[in-house]
Amino acid sequence: MTRNEFLAKLSDELKKKKIADADDIVSEYEQHFAFKMADGFSEEEIAAKLGDPAALAAQFEIAGQEKKPKSSRAIAAIGLFFADLFAGMFFILLIAWEIITAAFSVCSAAVAVSLFAGISPWSLIPPMPYGCGVIFGLSLAGLAVLSAVSTIYFAAFIRQLMRSYGRFHHNTMAAASGNAILPSLSVHPRLNAKTNRRLRTVTLFSLTVFAACMVLGIIVSMIVSGALEFWHAWGWFGYPGK
Amino acid sequence: MNPQYKKGVLELCVLALLKKHDCYGYEISEYLSSRIDIADGTVYPILRKLKSEGLLTTYLQEESGGPPRKYYSLTALGRETYERDRAEYLNFARTVETLLEDDDHDKE
Repeated sequence: MTRNEFLAKLSDELKKKKIADADDIVSEYEQHFAFKMADGFSEEEIAAKLGDPAALAAQFEIAGQEKKPKSSRAIAAIGLFFADLFAGMFFILLIAWEIITAAFSVCSAAVAVSLFAGISPWSLIPPMPYGCGVIFGLSLAGLAVLSAVSTIYFAAFIRQLMRSYGRFHHNTMAAASGNAILPSLSVHPRLNAKTNRRLRTVTLFSLTVFAACMVLGIIVSMIVSGALEFWHAWGWFGYPGK
Repeated sequence: MNPQYKKGVLELCVLALLKKHDCYGYEISEYLSSRIDIADGTVYPILRKLKSEGLLTTYLQEESGGPPRKYYSLTALGRETYERDRAEYLNFARTVETLLEDDDHDKE
């Protein structure tokens, strides 16, 4: 008997006996053939060792008196619908935050560029000596990189969270309808070691630049303006300048 | 050997193998048919019966280069059942052994 003859006969016998999930059973034998053929056995040999398809189907008849969980399936579907609604809102919130961090990064970069260029678009940037502006600009460039990194990481996190939820959804339905379940996914994004290391280095570097330049900028501004509250001296925030 | 003897014991052997680690169907079939003289195909109905009794669960594991494999794994109920049946079987086998050996001695 060839592989196809065996599988067709088995499928026939299973269906004749009205055994549930006949396709699932047949696919198990299909895999058996695949493994054995990879080991170099002929189709006839494998079929002979498996036994008579009719006899095997009869064994499934004894084995498979299982209850089909029909009602629990409907309940799972309703439960999942509400879980999806809730998770959906949660994901929208997370994506909104993702957009905020991205916008923050872009704005920081824009301000840094303006400070380097010594321009004040729409007079939004308060007046200060160019030297101080460059130091503050460096600090904001660090902040821009820092928030860009957090945007990237957060995007990976949201993506993994969604995939993990999708797997949970799939498995809940599969379990309720008696199908095989897939392994659950971790909620933590798995970046490869190299990317991880790079992100960490960039984060530490930009954090250092941001903090150091901010402090340095404030100190230099105090010295240059000759006042502790240099923003008063330069007439920021509506104070009359000197 | 009388196939009726093997049948009940095969279930116990499957549980014993799965207690060690999760296996896919073919692995179990190969393991048993290399040790016990049975038709390769008979393992799959046993797996199905054990699953429908709630002693096993299945899950799919993605394999590199190939379709996902269906793995079988013991449930808590399966583990309990195995421990109990194992003790019962060993006890029974020991009794049978002593009875049969007594018979030998009688003949001598």
